[in-house]
Amino acid sequence: MDSPENEKIPLFKRWSHWYWFLIIILVAEIILFNWITRYFS
Amino acid sequence: MNQLDWIVLIVTLTAIIGYGVYKSRTSRNLDGYFLSNRSMPWWIVMLSIMGTQASAVTFLAAPGQAYTDGMRFVQYYFGLPLAAIVICITFVPVFRRLKVYTAYEFLENRFDAKTRSLTSFLFLLQRGLSTGISIYAPSIILSTILDWNIYWTNLFMGGLLIVYTITGGAKAVAHTQKLQLIIIFAGLFVAGYYVIQNLPGNLGFADALQVGGKMGKMNVITTGFTENGFDWGDRFNLISGIIGGFFLALSYFGADQSQVGRYLTAKTESESRLGLLMNGIVKVPMQFFILLLGVLVLAFYQFHKAPAFFNQKEISRLENSVYKDSLDFYQQKMNSIHYSREEVLKNVESGSLDDAALAQLVSLQKSADSVRAGIKDLVKMNGGDNNDTNYIFIRFVVDYLPIGIVGLLIAIIFLASWGSIAAALNSLASSTVIDFHKRYIKKDCTEETDYRTSRWYSLAWGLFCIGVAMFASNIGNSLIEAVNILGSLFYGTILGVFLVAFYMKKVKGNAVFIGALIAEALVVTLFLLNEYEVIKLGFLWLNAIGAIAVMLFAWAVEGVTRDP
Repeated sequence: MDSPENEKIPLFKRWSHWYWFLIIILVAEIILFNWITRYFS
Repeated sequence: MNQLDWIVLIVTLTAIIGYGVYKSRTSRNLDGYFLSNRSMPWWIVMLSIMGTQASAVTFLAAPGQAYTDGMRFVQYYFGLPLAAIVICITFVPVFRRLKVYTAYEFLENRFDAKTRSLTSFLFLLQRGLSTGISIYAPSIILSTILDWNIYWTNLFMGGLLIVYTITGGAKAVAHTQKLQLIIIFAGLFVAGYYVIQNLPGNLGFADALQVGGKMGKMNVITTGFTENGFDWGDRFNLISGIIGGFFLALSYFGADQSQVGRYLTAKTESESRLGLLMNGIVKVPMQFFILLLGVLVLAFYQFHKAPAFFNQKEISRLENSVYKDSLDFYQQKMNSIHYSREEVLKNVESGSLDDAALAQLVSLQKSADSVRAGIKDLVKMNGGDNNDTNYIFIRFVVDYLPIGIVGLLIAIIFLASWGSIAAALNSLASSTVIDFHKRYIKKDCTEETDYRTSRWYSLAWGLFCIGVAMFASNIGNSLIEAVNILGSLFYGTILGVFLVAFYMKKVKGNAVFIGALIAEALVVTLFLLNEYEVIKLGFLWLNAIGAIAVMLFAWAVEGVTRDP
């Protein structure tokens, strides 16, 4: 069945690592977009 | 449209319907029909979530939005990855553990039947009307641009997908969304490639971005702060995007059955989470590139003749009105701007785009913007719709893309529309069957009867939504606005009920019910104050205020009414 304890988490060891991964990507995107805004203004 | 475009359009749409019917074989029970027997891998869940969220208007409006207002609209999606995290931590485990079919089923477990029925009813009301509008909105654009009959366009936009939605349920919806998205991305890539290929001289992608930047359209990040402090009425900025966008995405992915139904089809809890998280990763860049297409179209129009106003039907109406002379005046000004641009172009073709040429283009674009503003005023005075944002990209497609590609891009509008409508019909049927029919009318039925009932409800909702689209065709854009307002007014409150359920364990059913009613009154009051310009409040904030207000009022009512 789909008991989370028995399920393998892909790529990372814990789901919290996935969540941090998402937050890091979001922050990186905001930094990149900020650079784009400044560069092309 | 050329004959080849028609062939491409018909073949693409027929292929999708055929594929949907081919994938329709599913178990004849509720689990099979509404949840694909919980058998989907994460990547189909992700594509299904994306296909549900991205309607036809997404692909029509976003490039137009970037063309007129720049790239800052992308900030609207910054809250989505954060909401995906909260949903993975809180919502998904509970929904999976309880093995619910709809999100609202959980509310009866946690509170009572009336809270479940109220939230489910609000969902059905809002989603039923907005699905009708998502049939009408792209239909009116296509019928205007291509001179198609609006009623037939509504029927094809909302009717053909019913074939595979009824027969195949959630499984057919997910598999067709997968194919639809592949075709959509391929088509948009071709459109972007064509724009860059048709820039003059040696100009390329980087030059197009330079042009867009100088025009002020590469404003991806804006803070919302002015010299007078933070502008609460500013719709898209970093802060409203992260906070307001977070609450909006939390409501949409956590409390709207059209999305909950997608990730409940996953074969395991991990696959549900992964589908949501990957959507959180992909959505922001995807939206960035769709918006970028609008900036590229703006750059393209610096070197090709741009319409002064992109909705030709309104121009035709003006030509037959008392404003004809004023229109001619503006059209002549636009022609002279075009000739001036051609002069700049002569220099560009012999070399690259230097600062002097860019400065000239910026100045000419400002003149073009003022001409557009003048024509918009005329359209408004003539009683027409002066917002042509949704027409910008499709006008460019029809006027400039090569034969065959036009048919593909028109097909994309249908496919994008079908993806979101099919998921909506499936979720409307599931909420009606699970939260009302099996709850109040017939609890004990055979699996075969449940399956047949679900198919009938899918058909009924399909017909209802087409009916709404036909009705909208008669009364016009005011209904679109009314439905959009309805969504932003209710979403926050529905989310608030779920947040109380998850995070405020001591609050009971009566308290949350009363809290939700008071919060709804507050949201409506704030909305009206904003409409009458007593306060300035961007609509994204209404979701956050509604959700937080439900939590506060429910907590207060519980405190007052609890037995000592």
